[in-house]
Amino acid sequence: MSPILGLLASTFVTVFLAELGDKTQLAIVTISGTSSRPGAVFAGSASALVLASLVGAAAGGSLSSLIPTNLLQLAASLGFLLIGAQLIRKSLGATEQDPSAAAMGPEAGEVPAPNHSAD
Amino acid sequence: MGDSDERQALDAAPGSWGAVFATTATTVFLAELGDKTQLAALLLSAQSGRPLVVFAGASLALISSSLVGVVLGRWLARLLAPELLERLAGILMVVLGLWLGRQAMLTLPMFTAAAG
Repeated sequence: MSPILGLLASTFVTVFLAELGDKTQLAIVTISGTSSRPGAVFAGSASALVLASLVGAAAGGSLSSLIPTNLLQLAASLGFLLIGAQLIRKSLGATEQDPSAAAMGPEAGEVPAPNHSAD
Repeated sequence: MGDSDERQALDAAPGSWGAVFATTATTVFLAELGDKTQLAALLLSAQSGRPLVVFAGASLALISSSLVGVVLGRWLARLLAPELLERLAGILMVVLGLWLGRQAMLTLPMFTAAAG
């Protein structure tokens, strides 16, 4: 095997194994399982992952000193919580028309997607 | 294919292609940005050699891992009732959100100062 192919393969295996069962992959499983557009989920997650690593590589090790990555992660965690609350609320509403289910996440409203009225 | 009733249930949450793309991309990008310092170190360590090859390998791995995630999600959607899957997915997302939030809080200056 040529050295380039060897390097390519070893990087692939390292990163692939590191990403297996990662929080991001679990989130992708969740979004893909509950959405009817797997193509959009794949395109969105793949491009975001590549872009994030490109930004990380461009900034070198000093990314956290350039931008507040912890605050961005905090924003992402809020997004996770919101999506999770919406899904739980929806699953409760699907099985029983329980008014107490609606009381669980009043801020989430009845909106299943950010701009569902776009099309 | 038992695809039609599955689709019908899932279409309770439609969202255009662009909306799903944007939601997924934003969530994944924000969640991963902090974690990519590890990959950056990998790329830097290979700077003497071939960083482009390392980047190509890493990108292929990331794309493959999201493909695995999407396929796994579709497989679960066939296997489980939509409302059960939604509930499990919701609980998973809340747990991930709390965990990610904790990780982010721990790296905030005021907390690291208190810990160290």
